[in-house]
Amino acid sequence: MLGIEEKYLKISDLNDYIKVMFDENSFLRKIYLKGEISNFKNHTRGHLYFTLKDETSRISAVMFYNNALRLNFTPEDGMNVLVTGRISCYPAQGTYQIYVESMEMDGLGKLYIEYEKLKKKLASEGLFDANCKKAIPKYPKKIGIITASTGAAIKDILSTIKRRYPICETILFPSLVQGASAAPEIVRQIRQANEFELDVIICGRGGGSIEDLWAFNEESVARAIYESKIPIISAVGHEVDFTIADFVADMRAPTPTGAAEMAVPDRKDIENILFEKKKQLNTLIKNNLKQRIAKVNNVKNCFILKNPMSLYEIKEQKLDTLIEQMNKNMQAKLKESETKLQHIQNNYILKNPLASFESFKNLIENTHVKMNHFIQNYLEKKEYEYQLTLNTLKLVNPLNILDKGYSLVEKEGKIIKTCDAIEIDDKIKIKLSKGEISAIVKEKKEWKI
Amino acid sequence: MENISFEKSLEKLETIVHELESGNIELECAIDKYTEAMKLVKSCSEKLNEATKKVNKILNENGELVDFSIEDTEE
Repeated sequence: MLGIEEKYLKISDLNDYIKVMFDENSFLRKIYLKGEISNFKNHTRGHLYFTLKDETSRISAVMFYNNALRLNFTPEDGMNVLVTGRISCYPAQGTYQIYVESMEMDGLGKLYIEYEKLKKKLASEGLFDANCKKAIPKYPKKIGIITASTGAAIKDILSTIKRRYPICETILFPSLVQGASAAPEIVRQIRQANEFELDVIICGRGGGSIEDLWAFNEESVARAIYESKIPIISAVGHEVDFTIADFVADMRAPTPTGAAEMAVPDRKDIENILFEKKKQLNTLIKNNLKQRIAKVNNVKNCFILKNPMSLYEIKEQKLDTLIEQMNKNMQAKLKESETKLQHIQNNYILKNPLASFESFKNLIENTHVKMNHFIQNYLEKKEYEYQLTLNTLKLVNPLNILDKGYSLVEKEGKIIKTCDAIEIDDKIKIKLSKGEISAIVKEKKEWKI
Repeated sequence: MENISFEKSLEKLETIVHELESGNIELECAIDKYTEAMKLVKSCSEKLNEATKKVNKILNENGELVDFSIEDTEE
């Protein structure tokens, strides 16, 4: 028998025992659980502590740092999540909890992450760039519509086009617009529509849940819209729904009806424009004519046209003046010429031609005499100058000096002028008038002067 | 006149109105332009009111275009 003391377990023993029970249960080693996060705490060391709950129950949860690292979102209270983990006991607290190994967002949250990711990717590739947007023609002839052949969307689109712009043709390219095969079918129909000569394509569907609209958030649909040669107006769901297709499309309409309104003009507007233009044209042409009539009247009323004689009178008067002036000028010219003639006729030479000849003859004779006289004088003057020069030459001729009794002494071919140039026994030559003699110096006496 | 598109017609109309507004246009030319513009207005109006309304088409599974009307889809 056990003593009363031994009947009672220690808490730690119990908890340890329970922990083993949990750990050994193969069902609890890996379980999948979904629920909403509450009491979320991010511990400073990186472990996450929170509670998972549904409408009636809750369970504590812990996610250790190394697992938390792999999360692709930041958990917060109120989020619906899908978790994988094992159930075990934390003996110190006497609680069992789920040890979370991986966690992802449930439903909308998950879709939202995908949506954001794709949006970012396509934006960075330039699929949303404003300069890639094609212009929507103002007055389309043919419009392609890609949507379900039944339902509100096609009805709204066709009735709107019919009301606004019935002269436009439409071709429906029927497609599923929700479910797994919606996206590939939309892609196929966008490509198909590009085979036709369309001015614009409306692609979309009526309102629905975010899951219903999901085909328009698929990458393949976005790329098909981007590649379309024909401008595309997207029209998915309601005003508040923004899909990836809306960002890629050349124009985004809030609803299918809106898309039809963007695709075609309103015939009432065109009729108004036409009416206005007609009015404007009539006014313009009337004003134009009025202006011209006014101009014609102006011209008609001008003085010349009213008084044609005045045109003639002016000319007449001018002619008279000119004739008068011309006569005056002619008279003056005539008088001037007569005066000149008179003057020439009165000239002396013309009256006495012989007198002129006589005076010319005298001039020649006078000149002749003057020239003879001049030459005579010149010759006499030159003769006198010649005699003068000859006499001078005679005076300076050294031979004339010898004639007067002077003589020249030469030594070695040089004329000696002073006594000191001669030594005793020098051979000298003495030039006299009419000859010369050679001598040797015997004696020399210098005069002191 | 029938061959040119609606858009071109309206554009041309606009151009003529501007030309007439500018005023420095010969009378004969102005009248010609006015006549042309009036013809454009008429043809546009006629196109808008064409008696033969266009039929809506649908591309069926065989790749053929067949008539389609919304009334058929009403349940």
